[in-house]
Amino acid sequence: MSTTVATRGRAATRTAAPLGRLLAAELRWVLRRPRTLVVFGLLALVPIAIAIGIATTGGPSAGRGPGLVAQVAGNGFVLPVVALGLSLTLLLPLAVASAGADAIAGEAATGTLRGLLIAPVGRLRLVVMKAAGVVTVAVLAVLVVAVVGMIAGTVVVGGAQGTLVTLSGTTLGVGEAIGRIALVAAWTVGQLLAIGAVALAISTLTEHPLVVLACVLGGLIVFGVLSAIPSLEWLQPLLLTTGFTAGTDVLRDPLPLDGLVSSTVRALVYVVLGLGVTLWRMRRRDA
Amino acid sequence: MSSRKRWGAGLAGIVVAGAVAVGVAVAPTAAAAPPLPPVSPEALVASVITAKPGPMNGTVTVDNELGLPALPNAPQLGNGTQTARVWSGGDGKGRVALPSSDGERTLVSDGTTRWSYDSADRTVTKAPANAGGPPSRPDVPGGVDPRTDPAGAATSMIADLRKTSTVTVDGTEEVAGRAAYQLVLTPLPTERTLLREVRVSVDAEKRLPLQLTVLATGSAQPALTIGFSDITFGPQDPSLFTFTPPPGTTVKDAPAPDGRGGPPTGAQAPKTVGDGWDRVVVAQKPATPPNQPGQPGRPAGAPDLSSLGTPVSGPWGQGRLITTTVATAIITNDGRIAAGAVPEQVLTEALGR
Repeated sequence: MSTTVATRGRAATRTAAPLGRLLAAELRWVLRRPRTLVVFGLLALVPIAIAIGIATTGGPSAGRGPGLVAQVAGNGFVLPVVALGLSLTLLLPLAVASAGADAIAGEAATGTLRGLLIAPVGRLRLVVMKAAGVVTVAVLAVLVVAVVGMIAGTVVVGGAQGTLVTLSGTTLGVGEAIGRIALVAAWTVGQLLAIGAVALAISTLTEHPLVVLACVLGGLIVFGVLSAIPSLEWLQPLLLTTGFTAGTDVLRDPLPLDGLVSSTVRALVYVVLGLGVTLWRMRRRDA
Repeated sequence: MSSRKRWGAGLAGIVVAGAVAVGVAVAPTAAAAPPLPPVSPEALVASVITAKPGPMNGTVTVDNELGLPALPNAPQLGNGTQTARVWSGGDGKGRVALPSSDGERTLVSDGTTRWSYDSADRTVTKAPANAGGPPSRPDVPGGVDPRTDPAGAATSMIADLRKTSTVTVDGTEEVAGRAAYQLVLTPLPTERTLLREVRVSVDAEKRLPLQLTVLATGSAQPALTIGFSDITFGPQDPSLFTFTPPPGTTVKDAPAPDGRGGPPTGAQAPKTVGDGWDRVVVAQKPATPPNQPGQPGRPAGAPDLSSLGTPVSGPWGQGRLITTTVATAIITNDGRIAAGAVPEQVLTEALGR
């Protein structure tokens, strides 16, 4: 920790372009945390667990029964999509929320935020640096699930003659299948950025990182409860979780884009709101 | 202080911008009535019969507020909104996708074969498409074949409707971003029906019905709305209208249709009582198979109706009454079914005949 602060101190005395070094220091700081690595490990286990479950129980009952997980049987390219969809409900938000919690509230709790605020680094630059750490965690977390999912899907489950069978009954070649997986990965990152921005905003309002985690994960659960109440249907367009099912759309053919686009727009609104609150708080923060 | 105020205003601005953006992203835009030349109901119906809308694709939304009881094996009939994506080649070829949260049913007609794919059990069902175009409709009033004399068919159809309804073209509206005429059927005051109004929106340019709205008495909200929420006319990708069973699926032939559209075997032909809006259909339930004495006879897969509704009795006997916002049905204990878009009393009279 002391080396990081020292790095930041040196970077801050310069007058020109210290942003790259600031970012590098922040990323080292984020990625060296054991809890980040533990969450990445947990995320890698999700597709592996599904693949093993399908490989051991699949067979004659392949594809039978409801649920997307059943679609994985004999159709390995579906695995990363399903794994991302399952992780998006709680595990991926946990990774991003903990990064957002540590970014500001965590530093406030250990007293290192004071040093950052005193250093002659612009507050905007400080927020950009902190946001970059959260973005990195979000991208890496999604990449872990997608890449491990693709490997597990190919090796353990095996593809349907090297193709992806869509929910619409068409087959996509390897190139298009990888394109679809890349699309759902990018879309998932977008949803996670919304959660990360809100986590950063809450992070500026408290000195306890656990409060941030509790607010974000509790908020997701409350959103889920609210969307299950029929009389609150009018609230659905405002809830971030409403769009979480749109990731399944990449398994349809022709690809329907409206669900993916509207949920991404909704996520962007959350990003703007979260970053706005973060900037507003950090501009005026003195310790 | 002023800086704080500025930031407060900035924050408020962000919140308002966010709320507006969410609203714009999801809320349907209010439709204004587009100006269109006036048209008579007869001309409108005739043009619908002759219309060749050509290739198109779109999304059909069904907004169901019928108040049907939730059936355990047919939950899709309950209240709610459903969407389907449709593609039409304009030449008898078409594709329909019925998405659900974790699957999809796909129907493809490639001109010679109709394919049906269900992602839940990965089965493909194929059936030959009926050759020779759509079957002629013998129930067209006046006995005029709409394919040879659309204007005459439309006139006789409207004349028939006018015996029981007011038929008007009630202005215009925008449906799925397209200007449309509104054909409105209102029951005459003498009709005893639960329905208040039936509206059909017809595309002004392509003369394709875009939306059907059913309004029931005593409710401002439509009981049923079926229509395009977006539609695009234009050439479609021909590969949409072909289907190759994907690897790892089972392909089976659809059972041969026996007496297509007719009543199930064992049932008497249903008879209708009354005409117009207060028409009541009285049918006999299929006889109970002798090997299942305890079970009420019903075809496999049909919903079990025996536990629905409220018990009622009348001069016709005893049975169960099922009411929805647009229709009423009575299932008597001796196996008769009476149903119609009418209040309970009309059903009671029909059963008494």
